[in-house]
Amino acid sequence: MTSVLTLKNVKKTIKRKTIINGLSFSVLEGEVFGFLGPNGAGKTTTIRMIVGLMEISEGDIVICGKSIKDDFTGAIRHIGAIVENPEMYKFLTGYQNLMQYARMHNGISKGKIAEVVELVGLTDRIHEKVKTYSLGMHQRLGLAQCLLHDPKLLILDEPTNGLDPAGIREIRDHLRMLTRERGMSVIVSSHLLSEMELMCDRIAIIQNGELIDVQTVNEFIDGETALFSFETGLINKPEVTWLKSEWDATITESGFTVETAREKIPGLIKKLTAKGVDLYGVKTIAKTLEDRFLEVTSK
Amino acid sequence: MGKLIINEWVKLFRRAGTMVLVGIVILMVLGIGAFLKYEEIQNPPQENQNWKQDLTVQIEGDRAALEETGQNNANLKMFYERQIAINEYQIEHDLAPETNYNVWSFISENMGAIGFIGVFTIIIAAGMVSSEFSWGTIKLLLIRPMNRSKILLSKYITVVLFGVMMLTILYVVSAVVGLALFGLPEESLPHLAFVNGEVVERSLFLNLIGEYFLSSIDVLMLATMAFMISAVFRNSSLAIGLSLFLMFMGSSITMLLAARYEWAKYILFANTNLAVYFDGVPPVEGMTLTFSIVMLFLYFVLFQLLAFFVFSKRDVAA
Ligand SMILES: Nc1ncnc2c1ncn2[C@@H]1O[C@H](COP(=O)(O)OP(=O)(O)O)[C@@H](O)[C@H]1O
Ligand SMILES: [Mg+2]
Repeated sequence: MTSVLTLKNVKKTIKRKTIINGLSFSVLEGEVFGFLGPNGAGKTTTIRMIVGLMEISEGDIVICGKSIKDDFTGAIRHIGAIVENPEMYKFLTGYQNLMQYARMHNGISKGKIAEVVELVGLTDRIHEKVKTYSLGMHQRLGLAQCLLHDPKLLILDEPTNGLDPAGIREIRDHLRMLTRERGMSVIVSSHLLSEMELMCDRIAIIQNGELIDVQTVNEFIDGETALFSFETGLINKPEVTWLKSEWDATITESGFTVETAREKIPGLIKKLTAKGVDLYGVKTIAKTLEDRFLEVTSK
Repeated sequence: MGKLIINEWVKLFRRAGTMVLVGIVILMVLGIGAFLKYEEIQNPPQENQNWKQDLTVQIEGDRAALEETGQNNANLKMFYERQIAINEYQIEHDLAPETNYNVWSFISENMGAIGFIGVFTIIIAAGMVSSEFSWGTIKLLLIRPMNRSKILLSKYITVVLFGVMMLTILYVVSAVVGLALFGLPEESLPHLAFVNGEVVERSLFLNLIGEYFLSSIDVLMLATMAFMISAVFRNSSLAIGLSLFLMFMGSSITMLLAARYEWAKYILFANTNLAVYFDGVPPVEGMTLTFSIVMLFLYFVLFQLLAFFVFSKRDVAA
């Protein structure tokens, strides 16, 4: 797979203070790349450098083969972005706002605008002034603005901030559709792991402007173990003993957890059913990721 | 580039405030027209039969003043010389001063409103860049395949277009209102200008357009300065405050300095009134039209370079 975005040892110093200290990573075609870190870690600063709002102090950023430093217009045309909040012209309608951005790219037709408005579900309200919009509608208009020119890379800085669960769900569905159906790559930043796990293929953890780790979410390599959580009904003594001795399981309030290889799971389920244990659900816990993140954020 | 200017124009005129400014100019012209018409009806001007004698008396007075104060002040000297020459010319050629208002004198009267247009254009120029920062929209504006300098240029051109539009509205509305209320003059009098120590006749119509143009150079330079301050400091209050202060005080301060120091001629405001070279006296003796144009050009380039350099380089952390 080719990479859409590459950061090469990027540093940012503001007033002699190092804010980003040597970030290097790549974002691949068609993946959702998470950018996870506590508040003040440098997520927004990194994004500002990627989109050219801030100058890079050291290193380089390459987008679809074009360096943002040497060929700004060539690089930025492949990006659609929301940096922090999607602030719009409040005295214009949603449609007039989109027209502003449509005029700045080549060849965006009226049909394309209508299509994007339909996609984000704003068709009914698009001709109303933005000052009448709710936060969720602002967010959707922001997304529409990013998608007008069919970018290769979408960058969303804390897109779920302030949204209710339904809004968060909506953003997640949009991202999945855009990457799966249109082959777009997406960078989402967040300070919440739980959210990122649900929408990202890979997650980079940063803190104090440094890359701590890049983790693949839900990746199962044969032979490698992962932590699985089983939700069960009441488990009787013999079964508890069996689970503890045979599987090294930990009993929890709602069932138990085991650390094992993925291919062992079907067998375990069969045996549990045979022993008469009611099974309500099984899920994986990206243990290493959570641990790493807690390690970092609890400091 | 055209599309960027359309964008700026849309943003400018979709705001109620801008339309209010346009409305004020139109209402002001209507108001002045109504007031002058009312005055004229209340006190119809008398035809002055003795105007030649009156002018002669005035010339005598001016001569005396010239002897007394004019000799040590080059400015006053030129002022009196001009007045004397024009009055003598009027007597000699039997050109009675116009007593009734007509469309030309009305348009000329309304040139005072160019000051308001200056204030309005400064307000618009000052908000042009800084508003995008305060609205937060700068982040979505600058992540387009357009260089920052192009975006800034489109904003500057929009300011200039706004100023030109306001001046055109002022001139056209004045002409329409003037024609409707006062009509054309009975006999077409020329405009008397004082150039290089001689009195020359000019077409009133062309002279007015020329005067409007020359008065707007002041507006252009101040708007450019406000725009520069707005782009450099991203603060519209500072840009408006400083520019308006200089607009109202700049020329007075310059005149005070010009009476004493020769270097005052390098100050921007010593050069913004180019009309003095066509009809009047420059603030410092020995200043020429070419000198002033070069100075204006240098200030213009300085403001633009500052604005473009800072706007293109600075990090956007809004
Ligand atoms: N313009 C700036 N000047 C000085 N420090 C800044 C500036 N912008 C951000 N910072 C600092 O850089 C760090 C990273 O900020 P930011 O990128 O906004 O973090 P995040 O988006 O991950 O919450 C913070 O400590 C912040 O105080
Ligand atoms: Mg942030």
